[in-house]
Amino acid sequence: MSTQAQINALEKALEKELNMCQKFAELNDIKAQYLGKKSQLTDLMKAMKDSTPEEKRELGQYINQAKSTFNAMIEAKKTALEAASVRAKLNQETLDLSLPGPDYTLGQSHVLTQIIESIEDLFVGMGYVIKEGPELESDAYNFEKLNLPKDHPARDMQDSFYISKHTLLRTHTSPVQVRTMLEYGGKKPVKIICPGKVYRRDDDDATHSHQFMQIEGLVVDKNTTMSDLKGTLRIVAEHLFGAQREIRLRPSYFPFTEPSVEVDVTCAQCHGAGCPMCKHTGYIEILGAGMVHDAVLEASGYDPKIYQGFAFGIGVERLAMLKYGIEDIRNFYINDLRFLKQFK
Amino acid sequence: MKVSINWLKEYVDVSIDMGTLKTQFTEHSQEVDSIHPLVQVRDIIVGHVLTCEPHPDADKLSVCSVDIKLNTVQIVCGADNVAASQKVIVALPGAVLDKGLVIEPTTIRGVESNGMICSLTELGIAQKYHGETGIHVLNDDAVIGSSALETLALDDVVMTLDLTPNRADLLSMHGVAYDVGAIFNKPVSIETPSVTYGELKNPMTIKTQTDACMSYYGAVIDDLVIKESPSWMKTRLIAAGIRPINNVVDITNYVLIETGQPLHAFDFDALNSETIVVRNAVKDETFVTLDDKKRHLEPQDIVITDGQKAVALGGVMGGAATEVTRETKSILLESATFNPITIRKTSSRLDLRSESSLRFERGIDPKKTQFALMRACALLVEHASATVRQNTAFFDYNDLKDKVLRLSLVKINHVLGTNLDVSMVQSVLNRLQFDFEMTQEVFNIKVPTRRQDIQTYQDLIEEIARLIGYSQLPETLPLNRTVGGLSPYQAFKRSIRRALIGLSLNEVINYALVDLDRNNDLTGKPTNNMVFLANPLSEQHQVLTLSPLNGLMDVLSYHRARKMNDVQLFEIGKRYTTHKETETLGIALMGHYQPQAWKAHQPIDFYTLKGIIQALFESLNIQEVTYDKTELDAYHPHQTAWIKVQSHKVGHIAKLHPTTARRYDLEDVYVCELNIEKLFKYKTPKVDYQPVQRYPQMIRDVAIALKEDIASKQVIDAIQDLPFTALKEAFVFDVYQGEHLDEDKKSLAIRLVFEDSTQTLEADMIDQHMRVVADTLVNIFDAELR
Repeated sequence: MSTQAQINALEKALEKELNMCQKFAELNDIKAQYLGKKSQLTDLMKAMKDSTPEEKRELGQYINQAKSTFNAMIEAKKTALEAASVRAKLNQETLDLSLPGPDYTLGQSHVLTQIIESIEDLFVGMGYVIKEGPELESDAYNFEKLNLPKDHPARDMQDSFYISKHTLLRTHTSPVQVRTMLEYGGKKPVKIICPGKVYRRDDDDATHSHQFMQIEGLVVDKNTTMSDLKGTLRIVAEHLFGAQREIRLRPSYFPFTEPSVEVDVTCAQCHGAGCPMCKHTGYIEILGAGMVHDAVLEASGYDPKIYQGFAFGIGVERLAMLKYGIEDIRNFYINDLRFLKQFK
Repeated sequence: MKVSINWLKEYVDVSIDMGTLKTQFTEHSQEVDSIHPLVQVRDIIVGHVLTCEPHPDADKLSVCSVDIKLNTVQIVCGADNVAASQKVIVALPGAVLDKGLVIEPTTIRGVESNGMICSLTELGIAQKYHGETGIHVLNDDAVIGSSALETLALDDVVMTLDLTPNRADLLSMHGVAYDVGAIFNKPVSIETPSVTYGELKNPMTIKTQTDACMSYYGAVIDDLVIKESPSWMKTRLIAAGIRPINNVVDITNYVLIETGQPLHAFDFDALNSETIVVRNAVKDETFVTLDDKKRHLEPQDIVITDGQKAVALGGVMGGAATEVTRETKSILLESATFNPITIRKTSSRLDLRSESSLRFERGIDPKKTQFALMRACALLVEHASATVRQNTAFFDYNDLKDKVLRLSLVKINHVLGTNLDVSMVQSVLNRLQFDFEMTQEVFNIKVPTRRQDIQTYQDLIEEIARLIGYSQLPETLPLNRTVGGLSPYQAFKRSIRRALIGLSLNEVINYALVDLDRNNDLTGKPTNNMVFLANPLSEQHQVLTLSPLNGLMDVLSYHRARKMNDVQLFEIGKRYTTHKETETLGIALMGHYQPQAWKAHQPIDFYTLKGIIQALFESLNIQEVTYDKTELDAYHPHQTAWIKVQSHKVGHIAKLHPTTARRYDLEDVYVCELNIEKLFKYKTPKVDYQPVQRYPQMIRDVAIALKEDIASKQVIDAIQDLPFTALKEAFVFDVYQGEHLDEDKKSLAIRLVFEDSTQTLEADMIDQHMRVVADTLVNIFDAELR
């Protein structure tokens, strides 16, 4: 049999063995058997020593070619075995992909915080700063400097929790306006909003809460007009209730503003046509506002001959109730997570 | 204020549809709550009871034949007071009564009934206004077959106004008429009353000893015939929400609603004096008011006296002794004005708020005082056959002149941001019936005394703005001359919130006012500086909270009671004490942190909470934090620590003591309280940038066994105190107690990380460091290397 024929026979035999092989260990044996020192290929090499130089060159070529072919065949088998082994391992790692992942929920800010921050951001963008103040407030700041002297009938509108004769829980965040104007010394323009907790001596029910959140706004400058107030409130209404809202200003009364207005926004449900939500008026009252009363400017160190401005006060719970259709103000303070988690 | 539209029509043309009246009045004057018919009934007529026989088969029923002009109908009636020859209100089949009740022919116990004889209640007039129990019997002059609503003057519409306290003028029909006239540009006509006097002269002398009574007019009226008032007057009073009594009382109330001026009638004979002296009450003075209650007076109260003893509590209530009765023949009729604040104090102290006191409190048109008295006299002459004595006795210190205010067109436009012209302002002033003069676009405006609310130019600008309409205002924005933004502290608070939300905690907001028992300051500190309300509404909300943890415990209880056991909360609240309110963060955890329903998971423990706080501090750049073990009554004796930043106490972390937890129906609860203001103060203000190290770190571990009461922090501190410049950090990565260790021992595995910014570390040097570490730990802590 010629050497060539022997090599061909070896290749066939190797192919057959590789096809049978399932394990790395066997593969090593095969490699040794076909390419090792005791392989038939080695024997063929040894047998070459009796050949002529020409024959040697030819045979050498055959044998070297066979070596690289055999090597490639074995490597290919090795790769295939490795892939099979990885696959076998992965087959042990099946999962029920329909099971939920761990409960990595984020927490949430309170719905009232969400509304306050959203309004704060709106006003910050319009050049306002945020001012805060104490909840335990003096009668002077809460009432007297706001043109609400003792025994003023309008004090009935804000029944108060007193701590002592001169100290009370603030009934609105307006005292922060007074504090800020005094801080500014009657000179520079004021553009602030004042969010915070306020208290009224009311029994809690679906629409009343002895504690609630208010955001007051105040702008005082040389040329601040009531039209500026209206334009600003329109932006607030659209920010909170969506575009294409109409607002309606109608006469009202607050001792600290003159003229004073209540501000209504067109009903979100019926867009002004009239429905049970707006009691068939087409409008929903959202806040009170007005031009700052001269007496308040004077008490806060601003000369009303030079400065004028506007103020408004928003009840945050009321906004949230209107925005989301929440039926009972007490929900905000029960803090049931099933309630709070709904407001994303 | 409830306004009868029929009454209003006496002064001003109100031929407007009611919907328009409602919106226009709301947009230009005051909020209209509702406009609706006084009674909601249809097709009721006047009938004449011809016969009234007992029902053959029922004791309490009568069978009546009723003449209704076109024919005679048989009606079964259940009222006790029905009788033959009465004129009555009949609802025939098809008629609609109050609450939509439709009348149908029926058979009652075998007798046909073709309609119903009605009571006033069935028409929708509440019983408190008429006091009748049976059917209503009409006057004999009622016309059979005519509309019963017209006969009773019930075909009226009531407009209910929600008034702001400044608009005292709208507490009268006259005031409402002026505003309706101004809004719709219609003339208003109010007749000055004319009184025909009798022969006798008024004998009274009237004076005051107090400034709190500014005017007092007294008329003496004789020959009164006390009887029922005419239907129209009764209906108007009912529309206004006042119960008709008799003609004399009704007339005083009628004039009150019409003019806004309260009146009071004394029984002249019971008064038995020709002198009225108004004065302040004296100390310990008592007085029996109309309602037969003995009142203890205070010096601020105003009393009307006969020169000696009090006969009325001025502006608030009359006295029982001089009350007008059915036998009264002569009265002294009082029309006066009092200091609003004084009336407010007296009426609220004695809880005697009334239609009268309300008007006195808000201020009365001083020109109406005499007017109202004359109007009442004229009505008494007409409806009570009275004779009025000549000469009204009075004093009047009120300023009756109209106030003049100056206002320029420029100012109006400057405040409103408008471009109004002179003619528009003139038109509004004319509609308001305010006299004015104008030179060079500056108005001098005479404000009538009826508008006591208009005191300054700003009030006048409001009048102009509201009548032109706020819908006419442009929408502009203020000039931007300021820079907006959050203060660093406000931004810091928002960062706290963001971090905790990211760590899966939910924010809650609780009431600041809490129960005293609950306000037991969970840190166990003395609580004598709590802030109590002077006038709480309930025990539940009587004191300001000392910690947001109070409210958080209640929220945890709430959820646990509803089987929601995995709850992690925080609140940015306050600690309120008598001298300070401090913004405070409260955190409370129970159950499992980020639970997974189908996998085994560990319940929250002390370290869960500590990890949350560490992450929070990390995000806020708060460094040099230590946890100093302590014991506080409310907490677990071994799981409580003060949290310190740069050695300053900023709060605490703890597990609730089981006894405390039980008070809230809770079990394992972990809490943390942090003073936000201090955290802000001690946070590391600047970022201290360090380049990332280029040379590799070298990591070595050491494991030791030592006494379990030695805090791991002591061990770490001891390692860090060693003079190794290359030591970057050292931390515990494993703790073990149990098998193969003595009972009082624990094993700590500590990892040390070395690094050098200038070169690659040499293993020999680090190995040598590790030998020093081992020796040190053995020496200091009597530790055993493992």
